Amino acid sequence: MTEIRISGGAVHDPANDVDGDVRDVCLRDGKVVDDVGPGARRIDARGMVVMPGGVDIHAHIAGPKVNSARKLSPDDRRDDPLDRSEILRSGTGGLVPSTFATGYRYSLLGYTTVVEAAAPPLAARHVLSELRDTPMIDKAFLILMGNNQVLFELIRESRGAGGAAGGRVRDAIAWWLDATGGYGVKLVNPGGVELWKQNNGVVESLDDEVAGFGVTPRQVLEAIGGAVDELGLPHPVHIHANNLGVPGNADTTLDTMRTLSGRQAHFAHVQFHSYGGKPGGLPRSRAPELIEYLGEHPEITADVGQVMFGPAMTMTADAHVSAVLRDLDGGKWLNHDTEVETGCGIVPYAYRAGNYVHALQWGIGLELFLLGKDPWQVMLSTDHPNGGSFLSYPKLIRLLMDRAFREDQMGRANQKAIRRTALLDGLDREYTLNEIAIITRAAPARRLGLRHKGHLGVGADADVTIYHDLTDREEMFATPRYVIKDGEVAVEEGELRRSGDGVLLSSRAGFDPEVSRALEPLFGDRYTVAFEHYPVRDPALREPAHVVEAGA
Amino acid sequence: MAELGPVTCAGCGLLCDDVTVEDTHDGVRLTPRCGLGAEWFAQRRRGADGAPAATIDGESVDVEFALARAAELLRGARRPLLDGFDHATIEDARAAVALADRVGALMSTGVAAGPWPGAPALPLRGASTATLGEIRDRSRVVVIWREDPVTSHPRLLERLRVSGHRALVVVDDRETSTAERADLRLSWGRERDLEALTSLQVLQRGLGLPPGDLAADLTGLMERWGSVPHAAVVYGPALTAGAGGQRRALALYELVRALNHGRHVVTLELPRAPGCRSADDVLAWQSGYGGHVDFATGHPELVTATRPLDDVDVTLLVEPAPGAVAEIALGGVAAGPDVQVWIRTAPAGTVHRLDGVPLPLQPAEPDDAPTAADVLTRLLAAAEVDP
Repeated sequence: MTEIRISGGAVHDPANDVDGDVRDVCLRDGKVVDDVGPGARRIDARGMVVMPGGVDIHAHIAGPKVNSARKLSPDDRRDDPLDRSEILRSGTGGLVPSTFATGYRYSLLGYTTVVEAAAPPLAARHVLSELRDTPMIDKAFLILMGNNQVLFELIRESRGAGGAAGGRVRDAIAWWLDATGGYGVKLVNPGGVELWKQNNGVVESLDDEVAGFGVTPRQVLEAIGGAVDELGLPHPVHIHANNLGVPGNADTTLDTMRTLSGRQAHFAHVQFHSYGGKPGGLPRSRAPELIEYLGEHPEITADVGQVMFGPAMTMTADAHVSAVLRDLDGGKWLNHDTEVETGCGIVPYAYRAGNYVHALQWGIGLELFLLGKDPWQVMLSTDHPNGGSFLSYPKLIRLLMDRAFREDQMGRANQKAIRRTALLDGLDREYTLNEIAIITRAAPARRLGLRHKGHLGVGADADVTIYHDLTDREEMFATPRYVIKDGEVAVEEGELRRSGDGVLLSSRAGFDPEVSRALEPLFGDRYTVAFEHYPVRDPALREPAHVVEAGA
Repeated sequence: MAELGPVTCAGCGLLCDDVTVEDTHDGVRLTPRCGLGAEWFAQRRRGADGAPAATIDGESVDVEFALARAAELLRGARRPLLDGFDHATIEDARAAVALADRVGALMSTGVAAGPWPGAPALPLRGASTATLGEIRDRSRVVVIWREDPVTSHPRLLERLRVSGHRALVVVDDRETSTAERADLRLSWGRERDLEALTSLQVLQRGLGLPPGDLAADLTGLMERWGSVPHAAVVYGPALTAGAGGQRRALALYELVRALNHGRHVVTLELPRAPGCRSADDVLAWQSGYGGHVDFATGHPELVTATRPLDDVDVTLLVEPAPGAVAEIALGGVAAGPDVQVWIRTAPAGTVHRLDGVPLPLQPAEPDDAPTAADVLTRLLAAAEVDP
C-alpha cells in the first residue's frame, strides 16, 4: 500500500472550486483519499503549485499515420536521442518521438493522460500496439467515422426511414467502438476525404453530395453527431470541420456548429477553422465571431490547435490539405488512402513569424484563448505535432499568462497579420493558474467524460503534478518538481524515477447484436479484410483497460 | 487438422485472411487455391509433426538448455546482430527490439533485399500509397514494375481484380507469369529503369519526348495514365534493391508525385518477405527509425551507409526464411568455432499486411512451440542476468 501526503502546496483544482488554497493532498493505492496514515511518504510542497495531472484532449501520438511520419523524417530525430537506462527504453525525440520517448516526455511535462485524436478503425490493432509501447500515460484513441462508406450506406438508408434505420447507425457506431477499443468518434472533413479520394475533390458546401453515396456532409454530421449524442458516449462527437485552412472557412465552421445545434460536440483545432477572406486569397481572422458563437452555445467546446513558430509535422486524415501544403512547400509529402474509411497526408512544415499567414494563424489561436469568456469551453492544444510539438505547451502557457512576454513575441511577428487580429485592441488578459489548470486538465477531463481525472477530489485517480511556483511560467511548466502517476512518484526534478505502462481508456455502449447481420454484407462488398477478423479481441491488445460505460 | 477458416495465411506479404485450410492425403488444400499458401501451411504442419524443439549444433536439446546457451552467447557478444524477420509478427518484433535495445545490438528488418544495409528513398521525398481495397476499387490502370506477383504474391491480381476494364501494364524484360497477362508490355532492361522513370517525369512535365528507343513505350505508358483518374504502380525489391536502388525508388516516387496533379496515383510495395513490414513498423515506432538501426551507443542510430559487418560476432535470426518458417537461430559468425542454437517457434499474433493493414495471425493448428516473442522475451530476461 503506497501512501503519499503532498503537504502545504497551493492547490489548483478548479473542478472542485479550489483556487490556490494551501492544503494537503493525500494519495493511497492510486487514488486521492481524504487522509493517510502517519507512515505515509510526505512530499513538502510548500511554495509549490499542485495540480491534477495534465490531460491532452487532442494529439497525434500513435498509429499508422504517426509511424509513417517517423519513417519520413529520420533527420528530425537524429540530434535528439534518448539513452536507455536501467528503467527506461531508448528512443528518439523530435517532432514525432518514438513511442517510449512520447510517454516519457509527456510525463516529464506533467501530463498523465493523452488522446490520440484520429485513428482509422481498420488500423486499430496497429494503434493499440503502439499505445501499448507508449509508457507512463493513460491513453485513448478516437476512431475516424466521417468518411466511412459503410456508414454512408446506413445513413442514406436511415433518411426518411424513421427510428429503426436511424437506430442502425447508432448500433453500428457502438459496434465499431466495441470492435476497436476506441474511446470516441472523430469526424474529419466529413464526406470530403471520400471526395478527395474519388477525384481530388473538395467540399464547398455542407450540402454537396458525396458522389455515389447519396449523402451530404450535413447529413453525415447530423446522423453521426446525433447517434453519438443518443448513445451517451462519454465524449461527444469530435469534429475536424470541412475546409480546414481555407480562407473564409469560418462560414463552414459556423454552419457545422449550427447543424449540430442543441447536441453536444467538440470542435478540434478550431484555430485552423476560424478564417475570413475568400478561397485563394489572404485569410483574415474571424476568431471573435467563433468565440461569440461558442459563448452562446455551451453545448459546444473546442481545442485551439495553436501554431507555434518553428518546425512542425502536419499529419492529417484530411489528405487534401496535405496536397495543398505539398504544392505550397515543395518538400516531402506522404499520402496514404485507407479503404472504406479515410485518407492520410503528411507534410513536414515550419511556421515562420515573419510570414503573414503563419503570424495570422498564431494570432488567431491567441485570440481564441484570450477572447473566450469560459475557459471550460476552449482547451489547450497545438494539435501536436501539426501546430507544433507538445513540448511547446510551456511556452504557450507563458504566452497566455505573461502579457509582457506575449507583447514581445507579437512584436517579432508579421505586423500586418497582427494588426488584423484583436491582439492589439487592448487585449491584456493574463491567464491565472486556475485557468491554466482548467484548459490543460480539468476541462479536457470533463469533456472526455473521465470522471476520475482532471481533479483532486476524493476518489480521483492519483495523477498529480507539482510545480515550482516560478515567475517564468515557461520554465515552471516545462520542468515539474514532481509528477505522480497512479499514486507513485514518476518524475522528480526533471528525472524519470520509474517506468509504468498506463492503461487504455475505452468506452462501451450497448448495441443490438443483430447489427452485425447488416454490417457483414456491407463489409464483404468493400473491405479486403474478412469480417471475422476486423474486431480486435486479443486481450494483449485490449487489456489492461479502463472502460467507461456510455450514459454513466 | 479439420477444415479451418477463415484464417490468415502468411505464405506471402498479402497475408490473405479469407483462407480455408483442409488436410488432404497428400498435403494441405487451401481455398481459394494458392500454391505458396499451401506450402506455408504444410511447412507449419511439418514443423509441428516431430521437429525437435531445439538443437545446438544440430543435436536435439531441451528448450531450457538452448535458451541458456543462447543467453550465454548474447551476454558474451561484442557486436550482436538481430536479423531475419521474414515471418515475424508484431509481437515478435516488439520483443526483438527490446532485446536489441538492451544488449546494444544492430537490428535489420530486411525491408530491402540485396546488399546490407541499403538506404530507403521514402525519407527523401515521401510517397503516395494505398491499401489493397483502394486500388481494387479505384485504379483503372495497374502497372507492375519488374515484379512477378503471379509467382511471388499469387493472389495479388485476383485481389486487385485486375481484369476486364482494368488495364494491366507490365514493365519487365523477363518472360514471367505476370507478363503473360499484360495488356501492355514494356520490355526494357533493368539497367534502364532510372532512365525510363526520369524520362517519364520529363514527359509528365510536358517538356517533350525524350530521345531514344524508349520514347514510344514511354509515351504509350503516359497515355494510359493520362486516360484514367486513378492508377497504381506495384513495385518491389527488383526496383529498390541493389546498387542504385534508392535512386530508382526516388525516381518512381517523384514520378507518382507529379502524376498526382489532376489524378490520383498510388504505389504498392511488394515486400521481400511477409514479416518485413511488421518488423519494420515496430522498429520505427520503438526506435524512431525504420530499416536498419544500431543500438550500440545506448540509443537508436539509423544506419544508412554501407557498413562492414566484419565485427558482428553473434547473429540472431528471427523467423529467418520461408524454408524454415518457425525458428530462432542464433550463432557465432566470427572466426573461430561457431555455435548454432536453434529453437523452434510457432507464429501467432498480429501481422501487418504489405499495405500496412494489421491482421490476426492465428495458430494454424495446436502447437506446443513457443512464439518467437516468448523466446525473445525469455532471452532478454536471461541475457540481463549475470551467470
